Amino acid sequence: MGDIIKIDKLVKKFGDLVAVNGIDLTIKEGEIFGLLGPNGAGKSTTLNMLLGLLPPTSGKVIVNGIDMHKNPHAAREDIGIVTQETVVEAELTAEQNLMIFGRLYHIPPQELQKDIDFALELAALTNFRNAYAGTFSGGMKRRLEVSKALMHSPKLLLLDEPTTGLDVQNRTQIWNLLREINKKQNVTILMTTQYLEEADQLCNRIGIIDHGKLIALGTPSELRQKIGMSNIIEVSADKDNLQKVAAAFKSIGLDPAILSNKVTAAGGSSATKKIEMLIKEISAKKITIQNISMHEPTIDDVFLKLTGSEVRDESGAFTGGRGSMMMRGGR
Amino acid sequence: MKMGLIGDAYTLLVRELLIFKKNLGVNIIRSLIFPLIFIILLGSFGSTPKNVPVAVVNYDNGPNALNFINTLESGGSVVVVSSTTQTAALNLLSLGKVAGVIVIPTGFSSGAASTIYVYLDNSQPQSAEVVSSQVALVASEVGASTSVSGLSQTDPPGLIKVISNYVYGASSNYLSFVVGGLLVMVASFGAVFSSGFTLLSDREMGNLKAFLTTPINQFAVLLSKIGYGTFQSFLSAFIGLIIGLLYGATVDAGVLGFFELIWIIFLVGLGFSALAIALATRMKQLQTYALVSQTLVMPLAFLGGAFVPVTLLPSFLIPLTVVNPLTYAVNAVRDVMIKGFLPVSTLISTSVILVAFAGACMALAFALFRNTSMQLS
Repeated sequence: MGDIIKIDKLVKKFGDLVAVNGIDLTIKEGEIFGLLGPNGAGKSTTLNMLLGLLPPTSGKVIVNGIDMHKNPHAAREDIGIVTQETVVEAELTAEQNLMIFGRLYHIPPQELQKDIDFALELAALTNFRNAYAGTFSGGMKRRLEVSKALMHSPKLLLLDEPTTGLDVQNRTQIWNLLREINKKQNVTILMTTQYLEEADQLCNRIGIIDHGKLIALGTPSELRQKIGMSNIIEVSADKDNLQKVAAAFKSIGLDPAILSNKVTAAGGSSATKKIEMLIKEISAKKITIQNISMHEPTIDDVFLKLTGSEVRDESGAFTGGRGSMMMRGGR
Repeated sequence: MKMGLIGDAYTLLVRELLIFKKNLGVNIIRSLIFPLIFIILLGSFGSTPKNVPVAVVNYDNGPNALNFINTLESGGSVVVVSSTTQTAALNLLSLGKVAGVIVIPTGFSSGAASTIYVYLDNSQPQSAEVVSSQVALVASEVGASTSVSGLSQTDPPGLIKVISNYVYGASSNYLSFVVGGLLVMVASFGAVFSSGFTLLSDREMGNLKAFLTTPINQFAVLLSKIGYGTFQSFLSAFIGLIIGLLYGATVDAGVLGFFELIWIIFLVGLGFSALAIALATRMKQLQTYALVSQTLVMPLAFLGGAFVPVTLLPSFLIPLTVVNPLTYAVNAVRDVMIKGFLPVSTLISTSVILVAFAGACMALAFALFRNTSMQLS
């Protein structure tokens, strides 16, 4: 199997801001690859460069052997795209949505109807072909969009946070759809996500991106070993008490990280037991805390482990998604 | 399979038209309302007023003077209000009770004085025009001349002596004048309100990004928007023309003139759609776009003579009318509708100017659209 995507020393700067800082990545045909990272990590910028929508400051993107920035039109013939915003056209029917995009993807007219029928079936929307997409539920819209991106039989499907905002049932449906097309039609899938669980369930390989750099790359189990995917114990407390809480963590053999208003640590294989010990320790020492909890590791915890910092919140310096970044790029 | 720029633009235009069709009722009403309101309002207050009150001060009281006054009232365009002194009459004028004051001097009937003095309130130009033309008409019938000279020092403020001339010939139909200007205005506004708005909303909804990630030429998006704007603008102007004709405007150049009109409003729509798209390429907010486009198009319509003849504009505005493509469009439309003929050379020069304008705006739009990163969010 060949390489379908080759990203070579990719850099993107917006003025002084380095959004993508030298990413090297190769994705093989048939893979389901997950690109993880918090808001503003450089995921969307990377994806936009992959699509040829943003010119890189330096470096190269080769898709299916074609240089994306030298010959974007040819390169895009082999790519299907599902963007972060659900862009089905509310004022067109399901069938019209597919018809327009089929034509924009230059599907020969004699094959168009067949491909439309196929896409409707894939999206389980055959019975809704003449209904306006504006009347669809979130899940239906998303399915229509994914099948729209697959109409022209691309070799590569790019999805930007395909399940953000969907409920569990719809999310599972999208996952099944992606697995099916990956298996049956050998479509390579590259998706970005903020959900570790999603990447874990769906992807063969995961890349974690932060500050514009690829900081981890491997299969889900490799990454899990690397970051010790055990349950996370978390204690929030006033600033003054954080050191005492951390000492309590240490006394029962945990390795705590102190954050602005909480202390966290991976609970290891016996996390449940550890949290009991911790509660006893904290009450014995009469430390005032606000909350104690245990949860499965989230992207935050993975990040904490890998980068030593919290996932920056939405209002941070380099967040706010593409809107603000693109404004800078436009100047 | 390669379809090329035109094929891709056609696909996107089909998409616009499908959306148009889905909202057909709203779109038709929108296309209808603007010309309907403007033609009925502007056309009505612009049409020749009836029973305009005018104060007559008869210092002569001779038979010729009485004859003059009686003739003045014939035809029903003015109603005479007798007044004993010039001062009282001018007071009525300043209060807006009458639209004009006519002073018949002593000796008018005996032939010692043959000049009738007319005072008009030009804050109501239509009424003033009715009075002045009626006085001029009657005066010429009875062999008197109207004059207002020599009295300017005593004129109350706000009153202007006017002997008005029709901008076009005596057969001028004010409604045709209004409809002619309105067609051009509707065409330019229709273009600006459709094409630019759809580009902005597509960008906001993420549709634009979706289009740009397909293998199409990115300029196909712009072409389709310009095509759609032209369609919308043409539809509005065409409906405006039909309403105008039903309401009483005439196309004196006949059937050929009708097609010439259609051609000119099509070119106006094309040019202003391209202009609208050029504006919309670098704007993010609908409000900004609405503000900028209206600030641009409204003055262009006025400076183009859509409501007031360009010849009546102050001299410092004349250079602006020369570079304004709407001036040429309005002139050509008025030639067709009112003068009754459009010289081939004028048709060609107008077409060349409008096509060049459209081409320049399109080139500008393409140049501004190149920076795709701007188009993504």
